[in-house]
This record gives sequence, C-alpha cells and structure tokens, in this order.
Amino acid sequence: MNVVSEHGLIVQGVYTAYDKADVLEDVSLTAQSGKITCLLGSNGSGKSTLIRSILALTPPSRGRIVFEGNELTGLPTHKVIAAGIACIPEGRKVFPKLTVEENLQLGGYQERSQDVVAARLQQVYETFPVLKERRQQIAGTMSGGEQAMISIGRGLMSAPRLLVLDEPSLGLSPMLVKENFNIVRRINEQGITVFLVEQNVHQTLAIADYGYVLSKGRVVAAGTADELGRAAEVHQAYFG
Amino acid sequence: MDIGLLGQYIMNGLMLGMMYALVAVGFTLFFGVLDVINFSHGDVLTVGAFTGLATSLGLTALGISSAPLVVVIVFLSAIVCMSALGAFIARYLVLPLKSAPALNTLLLTLMLGIVLHEAVRLFYPQGANPQRFPSLLSTEAYSFGHFTLRVDSALLLLAGLAVIIGVHLLINKTKLGLAIRAVAQDEETAKLMGINFTLIVLVTFAIGSGLAAFAGIMHGLYYSEINFGMGLLLGVIGFSAAIVGGLGNIYGAIIGGFLFAALQTIGALALPFASAYKDVFAFGVVILIMAWRPTGLISEKVSERV
Repeated sequence: MNVVSEHGLIVQGVYTAYDKADVLEDVSLTAQSGKITCLLGSNGSGKSTLIRSILALTPPSRGRIVFEGNELTGLPTHKVIAAGIACIPEGRKVFPKLTVEENLQLGGYQERSQDVVAARLQQVYETFPVLKERRQQIAGTMSGGEQAMISIGRGLMSAPRLLVLDEPSLGLSPMLVKENFNIVRRINEQGITVFLVEQNVHQTLAIADYGYVLSKGRVVAAGTADELGRAAEVHQAYFG
Repeated sequence: MDIGLLGQYIMNGLMLGMMYALVAVGFTLFFGVLDVINFSHGDVLTVGAFTGLATSLGLTALGISSAPLVVVIVFLSAIVCMSALGAFIARYLVLPLKSAPALNTLLLTLMLGIVLHEAVRLFYPQGANPQRFPSLLSTEAYSFGHFTLRVDSALLLLAGLAVIIGVHLLINKTKLGLAIRAVAQDEETAKLMGINFTLIVLVTFAIGSGLAAFAGIMHGLYYSEINFGMGLLLGVIGFSAAIVGGLGNIYGAIIGGFLFAALQTIGALALPFASAYKDVFAFGVVILIMAWRPTGLISEKVSERV
C-alpha cells in the first residue's frame, strides 16, 4: 500500500491536528491512476480533514503526500492544484455573487491560454447545456442541482488528472444523486483519476474500484469495492 | 445665490469627492480580500504626497523642468513607492496577524499610521511645518462670471475619473479582478481554484495604496500645500465613506466619497452657521445614515462585494 509509484495519489503516514488534537492519525492510502478510489466514513471520522490535508488547506503535521511522483508535502494550495489536482468541495462552494461563466473561468484560472479556456468552457457547456443557457446568471440564485453542475464543471475546467470530490451528493434529491454518480463515472471514463469521499455507501461502492474506510481518524478497512461491500467494518464504521 | 459661485462650490466638492472616493476604495478593497481595516491607509497617503514632493524637488535640482514630464514622474514615483509600501505592510504586518483577532490588526495598523506620519514629521526637512507643493500643472484659468475654471483642477478631475474607471475595469474585466473578487467571496475556494492567495492580497494592497498616493498628490496639487497630519482626516473620511457605501463594495465606496464631499459642501454653503461647521455637519449626517442603514447604503446582501 505504501509503495511509492510514479502514478496516482499517495498519502503516507499523515497526521493532521486542529489545535494540537490529532484528527488524523497515521493515515496511509493510495488513489491509483485511472481508477475511482473512495473514502467512506461517518460524520466526524476525519474524511474532510484528510481532503483538507491533501489540498494543503490544513497542512498535515507529519507524513507525506505524493502525486504522480511529485512531492506535494509542504506546498501551498495553489501549487497542489498546479500539480494537476482539482477539487469539488463539500457543499459545492460556488462563488455566489459571480456569474456561472465567471465561476467556470475561475476553474481554469491557472491555464494561461485564453483559447484553451474557451475550448474547455465549450466542453463543459456540452456536458451541462443548462449552464450555457444561464451563463450570465448569478450563481447564488441557482438551484442546488444547478450549483452542483457548476461545481463539477468548474472542477473540470483545469483539465485535472485527479479529481477530488468531497461528498458531492450531500443535500441533493435522490434523482440528482443518481445523476451525480453517473457523471462521476463518466469523468473517470475520460481517464481522470477520481478520489471520492462519500457517506452514500452503496452507490459509492457501485462505481468505485477500490475503497478505504476511515473511523476516528484512522484507516480501519481497505479493499476492492466488492470486498468492502461485504466487510463488517463498513457497517461498523457507519452504524456501530 | 450666484450661479457662478455655486459652480465653484460644486467644482470644489467634486474634487474633494474624488479624493475621498479614491481613499475609500482602498479601505473597501482591503476589507474585501482580508476582512481587515487598515488604519494606516490615510498616513500612506501622506507619505505618498511627501514622496511626490521630494521627487519634484529632486527633479528641479537635476534641472528637469519640462512640466508634463515632472507631473508624470511625480505621480508615478508616489504611486510606485506607495504600492510597494502597501504590499510590504500586507506581507509583513497584516498577513502574519491573519489568525489573530481582527482587533489586533486594527491596533497594529493604527500604530503603524502614527509611525508613518511621525516619521514624516521628524525626518522630512522642516517636516513639522506645512510644505508648499509646487504647482506642476497649468495655472491658467477661465472666468465665467463668478465661476473660475482652473485648468489644473479640470485636469485633476479628469485624471481621477480615469483612475476610477480604470479600477472598475480592472476589478470587473480582468482575470486579476476576477481573482480579487473570488478571494473576497470565499478565500478557501479561491485557493482551490489555484489562485495564489498571498499574491492576490499583496497586489490588492498595492492597488489600494497606489490609489491613496494618487489622492495625496491630487491633494497637494489642488491646495498647493501638504502637511504631515493631512492623512488623519482624509483617512477617517475615506473610512466613513467606505462604511456609508457598504464596506466591501467599491461602487458604494465611490458613492460614499462623493456623498461626504456633497455633505461638506452643503454644510459650508446652505446652512445658516459658519462654514467651519461643515465637518461637524457631514460627520453628523454620516452618523445618522449609519443608524438608519447599519450595513451601508448598498448593503452587502444585494451587492457584489468588491
């Protein structure tokens, strides 16, 4: 599990603390290149903290984070993003007072070529035609489902090689949740590595290749989606 | 009242309003990206005005007397130096206190302001006395009855207008402006977009402080005099204008600046008491506006911050 490979995301022995109390203790995991890796765990298990650690929003106090062979440990967030990682944050976090198009443009902030940004924008509009219709609308006035599209589209605007999704189905209607999982699968089919953090165990395991279960800041189970589906730890982490 | 005299008052009010607006935009930009009040802002204006004065004296000593060239160099040197000072303040004084209570930043910038204007008083030759600011622009004037249009005033107003339009375009039409607005709305998500947060904060402080330098030179050219304490009142007025307009909103700050100047003008012109009471009147009205609209005239809920 801790083998340093040239590909994918490797989290190795990470400890992260808020106000000196460790939230994560010795977390190690790998998101294999081209695969969907999921992270399951109940509220307060440290899932969001792990995402924040990977993205350097809350830098870990110990441990390493490596992406495609590049050391990310200690880099500021914008350099982590520059390494080819995009994040769809929990709660979608669209910029409420910016237009749909401005939100999407920010997703491609690090791309210098205006032509490339314009081409990616067209791709996002093809995937989500409703965003094209409403591209001048202020994002904060749109529905939860539409904001989810903005957030995903914005994440794709940087043409990432790894997409980190933090509870993308939270707060969406069951129909939209299903649609959301389909979109994640399609993104992965385009060759983008996916690291999916979710509470929605069954639907997550249905699309994931590999998964980890986090409980009280530690990895308590790991395995293929099939294995995890049967494992008792999953149930315990959620219902125990 | 004589129409020409009224025109004169309006011209003066517009000039003041432009200076206040430029200062207020700085306050509102700083608040936008970092949620801090930078009380040294007015004194940065003072240092900017003195930088411009020193530059003009230096150019005279060098024998450069081409007026348009001198004006441009004076403005540029003040703006560049104050932008650098603003970025320095952000980097070494404000950002390190980011996780501290906002009151600490407030106190620190207040003390910094005192250090800045005391430094001018102590280290500038004869700094304790008002300094004559050379009239670098054409002193020609055209008279229409009681109204005298000074060419330099008209040029300053136009330049100020151009600067304000420039800020508007920068914030709303450029990638940098988009990044500033994103940081103002949601710092963490802005970082996730790949925006270099620290850099954007420094650039924003540089822009705001450069605007203060511009206002300082404007003040010097208009009144032909500057002094080490000039930033105090201008800072308080700029801060009030930013608050009245709705802190965090640049259009609010601009409106607030012109509103304050309008109040001073009304206080000096239309009220039965002496014009010395114009500040009392203007600040009194500001207090009433704040009681009536605590979040400013353009409240943050309906307006786009920064």
